This record gives sequence, C-alpha cells and structure tokens, in this order.
Amino acid sequence: MSALKILVTVKLVPDTNADKRIDPASKRLVRTGVETVLNPFDEYALEAALQLKEQLADGSTVTVVSMTPAAGKEIVRKALAMGADDAVMISDDTLGGSDLWGTAVALAAAIKALAPDLVVTGTQSTDAIGGILPGMLAEKLGLPGLTYARSLAVADGRVRVQRETETGYMTISAPLPALVSVTKSANEPRYPSLKGIMGAKKKEIKQLAAADLGLTVAVGTDGAKARLTELATPPVRAKGTVVQAADASAGAQAVVDFLKERKFL
Amino acid sequence: MIQNVIAFIEHAKGAPRRVALEAATQARTIADALGGKVHAVVCGPGAAQAAHVLTKYPVDEIHVSEEDRFIEGAVDALETVARNAGPSLVLVGNTMLGRDVGSRLAARLDCGVNADVIDVRTEGGAVACIMPKLGGLVITTCAFAGDYGVAAIRPNVFAAKETPGTARIVQLPSNGKASAITVEDEVEEAAAQLGVEEASVVVSGGRGMGGPEPFTSLLKDLADAFGGAVGASRAAVDAGWISHGHQVGQTGKTVSPQLYLAVGISGAIQHKVGMRTSGTIVAINKDPNAPIAEFADLLVVGDAFAIVPELTKLVRDAKAVHA
Repeated sequence: MSALKILVTVKLVPDTNADKRIDPASKRLVRTGVETVLNPFDEYALEAALQLKEQLADGSTVTVVSMTPAAGKEIVRKALAMGADDAVMISDDTLGGSDLWGTAVALAAAIKALAPDLVVTGTQSTDAIGGILPGMLAEKLGLPGLTYARSLAVADGRVRVQRETETGYMTISAPLPALVSVTKSANEPRYPSLKGIMGAKKKEIKQLAAADLGLTVAVGTDGAKARLTELATPPVRAKGTVVQAADASAGAQAVVDFLKERKFL
Repeated sequence: MIQNVIAFIEHAKGAPRRVALEAATQARTIADALGGKVHAVVCGPGAAQAAHVLTKYPVDEIHVSEEDRFIEGAVDALETVARNAGPSLVLVGNTMLGRDVGSRLAARLDCGVNADVIDVRTEGGAVACIMPKLGGLVITTCAFAGDYGVAAIRPNVFAAKETPGTARIVQLPSNGKASAITVEDEVEEAAAQLGVEEASVVVSGGRGMGGPEPFTSLLKDLADAFGGAVGASRAAVDAGWISHGHQVGQTGKTVSPQLYLAVGISGAIQHKVGMRTSGTIVAINKDPNAPIAEFADLLVVGDAFAIVPELTKLVRDAKAVHA
C-alpha cells in the first residue's frame, strides 16, 4: 500500500486546569492568567496519527489542520514539535463566530483540497464539549466516520477501530479514505522532545484565508445556523453541611437522613 | 420557521432508551407550542418492537425503518422524515450514538446543532436551546436560524411521560444503499447497562479507593442499591482501576444525575466541571478540607470503606420498604 496522507484537526482551548470565571459585566471569559493550550482531546488524535505513521514507516505523513486566529501559531507549533510533518492554519476574521456548522463547512473545504487518506480528530473539545464536529466533518467530507475509537489500525486499504460503547466496545471498519475520532483510552500523548521543538521551527505552517477555501455559503457570525443570544452565569452552589462521622454507622445514617429529607429514599 | 418536532428513538434491541422517551415527551410540548406535529423515527433490528412501546407516548407518527446500516441508516431515515415533514426541530439524545446521528444529519440538512441541551424554549415562533458550557461555568442560549435544527438533549433532564396516544405507525422503505462501515463484532464488557450520562444516580470513586476492587464491589453495590451507575475520577481511570467510559470530568463525561455520590474524590476542578450541575451532591471523604467540601450539599467526613457498606445496607432496606 502506498504511503498515507494523515490529517489531524486541532483546536485551541483555554487551559483545562485553570479555574475559569466569567466577568459578570462583559459576560466574557476572564482570560487574564488563563493560558491557551492545545485541546487535550486533540493530543490523543495527534498521538494516534503519529503512532500510525511510525508503524507504517512507509513515508506516510501527518499534517495538522487548525481553524484558529493567527495568534494560535505557537500552539500549532507544539503539534509540529510532537512530530507532525507540517501544518495548515485557517485564520480569518470573517470565520470568527462560526457555529459548528460553519466550522465544519470551512474545515471540510480546507481538508478536501488536501485530499487526505485518513482524518483523525479528538472526540470533543474541553471548552464546548459538544462531540459534534467529528460527525459533521465526516458528513461534509463524504467520508465514513468511525467515532469514539480507543484503538485504530490500517491494513489493506481499510481502517479498523475499536469503538467505545456505553457497555463495552464494538469493532468497526471502513475503506479509506475515512475519518476517525480518538478517545483518551487510545494512548498516552508524548511530550515534545528538545529535538522536536528545535525541528518544529523549520517546519512549514501554511496560512489559508477564508477566500482560499472557495466557499459558496456564508460562514462566521452572519452565516451561523445556531446563534448565541444569551450568556448567563448559573447560581453558585452554596457550601453544604459537613458532618464528622463518629463511626461507620453514624456516617451511613447521616447520609440516609439527608437522602430521606431530599426524598431520595 | 421550525414547526414540527422529530424525535430520534435510540433503542437497545427493541427497548427504547429512557432519553428517547424523554425526547418523545418533550417533542410534544415543543410541537404544541409551535402548532406542529410530532414524528418519531425508530431504526434497526428491533425497530418494530420499539415502535410498539412508543405508541404509549404522545407522538403523531412513528416512522419505522428496518435499515441495519450503522449510523447511516438512522441518518437516512431522519433525513427522509425531516424533508417530508418540512421545517422541523430534530431531538436526539446526548449519547454517543445520538451525537453521531445528530451531527451527520445536521450536516446534511445544513442546519444548526446544539449539544447537551437542558432546556428548549419557543418564543415568537423561534426555537432556542439552553446549554451549559465550559463545564457549567456559563449557561448559553442558542437560537436556530433557518428551517431545521438538531438538539442533542441531556439525559435525565426532561420528563418521560406515558400518555394515551393515537400514533400512526408508518414503514419507511429501504433505500437499498450499502453500508460504508462494517460492524465486525460487539463486546459487552460491563455488567451495567446504564451509562453514567443516563443514570439518575451516579456513585463515583476516586484516588481514595486505592485500587480496582472497590469499583466492582463497594461502589457497585451502592450504585446497584439505587439502580444507578458507577463513575470515576480521572485519577482512578489513569491508574487503570476502571475504564475510561466511566470517567466523569473534563476529559471524561459530563453528568447531571439527580443524585451524585462522590466517594474518596477530592473534587479538583477537573472533576467538578463534569458533575457540578448534578441535582444533589453527597460526598464521603476522610479529608474535611477537600475541595469538594465547597460544593457538596453534604460531606460526611469518615472512612469510606467502613461507611459505604453500612450505607448500602440502609439504602437497600429503605428501598425494600417502599417496594
């Protein structure tokens, strides 16, 4: 089989470990002190792609694709430092405010032009937690979508994955080209090596603007099919009761009394 | 302008999942507000059986497709029904299959899609979804623009209510397409049939469990006493004590059961964002200063290994009295 062209989509998200808060006046995320990072779910996708490339060892390549403001370049470079061969960034002010549909349309246009054999995505992002983009993207690309993969392998022109289910897993396969979304059980993402970090500086990051995508429909804020109309902060959970259990039965009884009071029992 | 509502009925071998019945029930409320009809779509092996269950719910038409093609069969059936019905809102469950089907359908219909929806509002004919984002830090409202919309509803939030219905069952013809995806086998690893996203009671264990064993005995017994599911913190999953499918938190699942019991879980931000919208939170922890003290409705400070078996016994007794 000839070498594969593997594409990995990545997104930038606010740092997952930071305790984020919303400014009540502007209703926007307070970004001070909150770093932007590579979406952790996308690291599993990238790792899966890199492992596949290394296994195949036949000249297969991994290209990272990201729809992100120009400032996201350093994060894209991290993906290159981990081992991706090159990257494509789609940065354009007119794409800002795109909903999931608009994002899928724009990403699909950029990906189609690259004619990949395999597209690998994360299952979701840590900020939106939709889990929607992989399916939309697969449909817009006209590809079979093998989602929630905890393992993937390519042989004889087919990709085979173990798809997680609520109660176990199922083995599914499809002919290439295809799209696979990878869960966190798939692997342990690598850290960029010093050599990787140095090498990443020489790797190409191709810049695309909206005009390069040949879109025939409006995306961005104006084209959005789902429009944000309101942003509210939920009521803060009040600190509850703390009971020091004298022994096991007192502890259990405290829980039961509370559950009875709340009509659970 | 959206007028009708279509509920996708996810089922396990003919038994509709609860979230599907929640979708069917909620569909009626929305359709009545919009002056439209409710369609239900049931696909795959067991579809006829699931359709029969559905006749007890307030839907107008039940479309049955015996198509067995994984994901695509359901997307095709929903697309056919949606295009025939005209402007509609499609409700799917916010489950793995529901998201897969809903996302592909939205791409086909070129419409908006909202996931993890906890409320649907209709004002002046417009349909908007309410969703928590950033781990429950903000509550967003997103309105659909256009003739169609897909909403993946969070399980356990909407009520499922049987109502004597007058549903008509309609068979959808096969379109004869071949499946791009081949299902080779399906393996059930867990005895639990209910995922953490769907359970109304979740009993989760964390680092304090010290090993895999409590997840199949101590915690499972308590979860079983409630008819609930076992969850886990990232620490427990990363240690290999339980599979990732059970993980609650930022890199796992977001849950919002009526009752969340956190056992030996400190309540780090990573975990908190995955469960803070739960109805009631009860924690058992040996550390009175664990972060979870700040947002649990009740924190019992003590030895979980001693308290939980006692608690399981008391819960079983209480349930037996009511049974």
